[in-house]
Amino acid sequence: MKNKIGQLKIQQMAFMLVAVIIFFAFVGMAFLSFQLSSIRDSAGTLEEKNALLLVTKLSNSPEFSCGKSFGNAKANCIDADKVMALKENIEKYSNFWGVENIEVIKIYPPQTNEECTMENYPECNIIKIRDSNKGISYSNFVSLCRKEKVTSPETESLQTKCELAKLSVSYNG
Amino acid sequence: MDKNKKAQEEMVGFALIIIVVSVIFLAFLGLSLSDDEKESVESYEVESFVQSFLQYSSDCKEGDENLDISDLIEECTNDQICSNGEEACEILEETLEGISKESWNPSQENPVKGYELKINSPIKNIINITKGNITANSKGAIQFLENIEIIFKAYY
Repeated sequence: MKNKIGQLKIQQMAFMLVAVIIFFAFVGMAFLSFQLSSIRDSAGTLEEKNALLLVTKLSNSPEFSCGKSFGNAKANCIDADKVMALKENIEKYSNFWGVENIEVIKIYPPQTNEECTMENYPECNIIKIRDSNKGISYSNFVSLCRKEKVTSPETESLQTKCELAKLSVSYNG
Repeated sequence: MDKNKKAQEEMVGFALIIIVVSVIFLAFLGLSLSDDEKESVESYEVESFVQSFLQYSSDCKEGDENLDISDLIEECTNDQICSNGEEACEILEETLEGISKESWNPSQENPVKGYELKINSPIKNIINITKGNITANSKGAIQFLENIEIIFKAYY
């Protein structure tokens, strides 16, 4: 009888120990979950920053940016004429930006979906500079500017025409 | 003997409760960890949108040049008429409505459910465009052109 009571007490203690261990495991998991969610938040922020930096870096690089061609230097401004010239010579820039795909999509004014070539430019809306389906895609709004020849009966002049576009870039991580 | 049996039953009950609670907790933890939905609108997109549309060449002409939106806002504040005879405010509203709609295309099927664009000067509210549903989640940007305030919010 005494042995049985002892066994029972040992069993009771074993259960208690299991309960304590499970309790601490819960606390540990809750802490881990909290830590993981904050890590995920910072990873998201970093990813957003990285994408922004990449797209901004591209739109402000000399091969894309408007510079002072259209008056004052403008942020997020892409020179469409430069981009068309770059499209024709993209093989010289094969690993220059470390991205898989670069394209500029005109948003406004709305136009028919037509890829730009030297023949139909500027009456088109997608300039595919590098074409690939690989990687994660990021895009950002940019202003797509060009010089447009305006002819009137008396004069002929070049005018600045800026449209709204999205610069889309995809890269591997 | 009866007392011992009762104690054993209690312990088994306790163990069962712990197992049930731990299963529920693990399920909850699993769900919260797998919920890695990407935000449908990033804040930098909204900021860039405002910066970019301000550079857009509108249909309002001053001489031979088409005014960009930032100049057009100033013209509208002063109730000016464009050299092609149209009111600056009318062109501004039409252009911004078109730009916002084409850029964000709000609908229940799309990630962006609605948007709000407000342009205010100290004298008057120049533009107030709202489209789609105003939800609890939004990303916004604010830009100042001297004393004119441009506020854009995208709801998702």
